[in-house]
Amino acid sequence: MSAYESETRDLKSLETDVDAALNPAEADGIFRDSRECAGLLLVVGGLLLSPPAPRPKK
Amino acid sequence: MEQLSGAVCDLASEVVSVLRDGDHRPVAGAAAQDGEAQALGVAAVRVLGADVLLPSVLFRRSPEEADLALVREAVRAYPPGEDAPVSTAWSHWGMVRALHRGRAPEGGPREPDVSWAAELPWQPFTHQLSLLAALAVPETGVTSGVGRAAAARPVDLARGFVRAVRRRDWLQAAGAGRWLAALESGPYAGGVPESLGLDSGLEFVLRMGGEDPRVALHAHAAQLMRGGHGPVAG
Repeated sequence: MSAYESETRDLKSLETDVDAALNPAEADGIFRDSRECAGLLLVVGGLLLSPPAPRPKK
Repeated sequence: MEQLSGAVCDLASEVVSVLRDGDHRPVAGAAAQDGEAQALGVAAVRVLGADVLLPSVLFRRSPEEADLALVREAVRAYPPGEDAPVSTAWSHWGMVRALHRGRAPEGGPREPDVSWAAELPWQPFTHQLSLLAALAVPETGVTSGVGRAAAARPVDLARGFVRAVRRRDWLQAAGAGRWLAALESGPYAGGVPESLGLDSGLEFVLRMGGEDPRVALHAHAAQLMRGGHGPVAG
């Protein structure tokens, strides 16, 4: 492949990239699931509030 | 594509830096090189569009000659085709207007079609407008066809802003917030619901998504138009 052909191919691919960058589809949303968050909070809270583990008597 | 995305982010970072400190310096330094780097730089200028000249618009001063030359080159190298998508056609139009400091140049391109703006539901309407956020500047931008379309639907745009924040789509949120700020700074002020809390919303978007220089660019532009942040206009 000649240098001219290679340069033409690079410019074509750059044009395609520019078109894609100018017209992107809407990005997927990132949501936090409230029920999952609440469940996690309950588990963490439960662990923090639980009584200390029994220790062997001397 | 990755190379181009990187070049666009570098260019956006430079614009943000000038918006923050108010310096008089060209933003498109990397694009001014020769060969392959220059081709990539010009492509990045085409993607960022009229925002390459944003500091001169917001600070009301003459654009840097190096930036003007690159925008001219990007306009020449990437003309929109007859059936170009909305963003391609309007961003090209915005660059030509920015080159002429907001005035319609003699023999310049006519405004592209804007009928889509009235037909789209509010979600895709916000998405499309956020892609054209480079047009959201005082005066020229808000009085263009897209600006008039935005001014006709401020509540839809405000809903879109909240939706984008909830979806954590910071780029769309920043773009929509910039349009709302531009509308409030111009002849269409008063249409954006006060209950939106635009200033706090913009601050939140900047904190959460500001690592992306394109988000930071739109958020800083919006804050400058709101008049509460950034260097004093010279």
